[in-house]
Amino acid sequence: MAKKSKLESSGGTEIRGVDLVEVERLLAFMEKHELEEFEYEREGVRIRLKKASTQSGGAIRVVSAAELSRAEDMPSPAAKPGGAATRGSAAASGADLHLIKSPIVGTYYAAPSPGADAFVAKGARVEPGQVLCIIEAMKLMNEIESDVAGEIVEIFAQNGSPVEYGQPLFGIRPQAKK
Amino acid sequence: MFRKILIANRGEIALRVLSACKELGIATVAVYSEADRHSLHVRFADEAICIGPPRSSDSYLNIPQVISAAEVANVDAIHPGYGFLSENANFAEVCEASHITFIGPSPTMIRMMGEKDRARAEMGAAGLPIIPGSDGVVPDEDAAKKVAAEIGLPVMIKAAEGGGGRGMRIVRTKRELIPAFLTARAEAEQAFGSPNVYIEKLIENPRHIEFQVMGDRHGNVIHLGERECSIQRRHQKLLEESPSTALDSATRERMGRQVVDALRKVGYSNAGTVEFLRDASGDLYFIEMNARIQVEHPVTEMVTQVDLVKTQIRVAAGERLDDAVGPFQPRGHAIECRINAEDPDTFVPSPGHIATFRVPGGPGIRVDTAAYADAVIPPYYDSLVAKLVAHGRDRAEAIVRMQCALDGFVVEGIKTTIPLHKRILADPDFVAGKFDTHFLERLAPVEAK
Repeated sequence: MAKKSKLESSGGTEIRGVDLVEVERLLAFMEKHELEEFEYEREGVRIRLKKASTQSGGAIRVVSAAELSRAEDMPSPAAKPGGAATRGSAAASGADLHLIKSPIVGTYYAAPSPGADAFVAKGARVEPGQVLCIIEAMKLMNEIESDVAGEIVEIFAQNGSPVEYGQPLFGIRPQAKK
Repeated sequence: MFRKILIANRGEIALRVLSACKELGIATVAVYSEADRHSLHVRFADEAICIGPPRSSDSYLNIPQVISAAEVANVDAIHPGYGFLSENANFAEVCEASHITFIGPSPTMIRMMGEKDRARAEMGAAGLPIIPGSDGVVPDEDAAKKVAAEIGLPVMIKAAEGGGGRGMRIVRTKRELIPAFLTARAEAEQAFGSPNVYIEKLIENPRHIEFQVMGDRHGNVIHLGERECSIQRRHQKLLEESPSTALDSATRERMGRQVVDALRKVGYSNAGTVEFLRDASGDLYFIEMNARIQVEHPVTEMVTQVDLVKTQIRVAAGERLDDAVGPFQPRGHAIECRINAEDPDTFVPSPGHIATFRVPGGPGIRVDTAAYADAVIPPYYDSLVAKLVAHGRDRAEAIVRMQCALDGFVVEGIKTTIPLHKRILADPDFVAGKFDTHFLERLAPVEAK
């Protein structure tokens, strides 16, 4: 069984499953454009950064942590909708995506056991009831099933990372059952 | 000392626990329902984990979710606050099994004090005065006459299997006893399927007086004085103060000693409150014990200068009481008003968006709140918006400070009980210290159905 990833700490600020280097890049972006608050949502991924300018401690909150690699595409601030370059097609179809969200708090595992193949990969066709992943909670393995038929377009959670209630795990483009 | 604590609660008490952790240099983890996403305890905690949808049973009361969050965040201990899981012995046991320290009494103690009948029996056996009553069910008319003669009228006949006022009869004269006994049995049979009743002395116009206690894991127990909580509506406390105007120092000392002795005997640890009813002749009777930190704990903190929540954390970590509490001397008088999001006359709940929230300050004023301007009070949880506490050198100064603080507490957008508190503080009987648990009924005759 893969080790549970420990939450990383940086000067007292904890961010779940998110590379701090990427967060720093986002912050640099905010500084450059003199933004106080920055919210970014696409394909069910939502990140919100707010400068704690009047608070002591300067704590920064990351809401709904997800894969930050897509932050490289650095879309325009929330005021201007519309996408960045490379993932434009995915952004365009963002609205069609059915999100599978975690129903529990726990640790996300992509495969039934370490070394085994992942349950699903991007592009895979899934049917309702098909197991997509496991979330371990209190030493119990909970199988998370798809509730729709369709194609896996995005996998948001990282193997071995903690997930919270309501956190998006998969983005599925619904397609009629075969 | 703990490295990291998960706060299994919300609102003002979650913030309170968060401050205590911060002062002790302990990292904090908040858990929250979707309705509390923008709460202060979530924003100020070092980490925050969403554990469910708004309903308490799906979130704050969901043991697997809370424990899972504790494991995922790798915490050493959980502080349950008050309400929610704080008196859930099963939850305390699950924490232990998961190698997480539950900051509170042991599961055994929680269970003992949670079963009110059992608590009464155990505390009685440990030396506390309990309300005189029958030893269990009263089987027949002869037994009823005997019990009534022993404990003296007036008495209350109560159904053994239920409550809600059914199968209950007040008996003031000998003549009424048997007819009341028989009809109570008939009613109990109808309502609960069992005619069993027991008989208890009726305490008329009682005053509610409770003692704050603290125990460590080494068998030491102390009390930190009493609070008077007679200003209640339908058994919900609205205003509390310390010390009580009804206790003289001899009674305080005697009761305090009895409480500490009893709790040492049963092996109590961490925070707790021992509740009594005081009858017209001044006798105190144990009614129940709350095995947790209470809403009104700031009243005791203001008088003793002891941080009860920090002390809870320290004794849970194994510190001895002397070190965790330190020497203290009660000073002055403190009053707390519970500011609820309710109509002050009808008590109909008033959740919603807070447009203005101006909090009073100045010498001797403390406000515990998780509310702020632009916040939304959700409809899913209790209506407590803020606890306003005033301390003064004596009761008169505490009262005038509270009156001025209430005048300076501006809340717009929702209704609050602030106008009611102003009326209470202005009432001559309240100021004279002459009241009992029926005070509010006499003051506020207008109530919602």
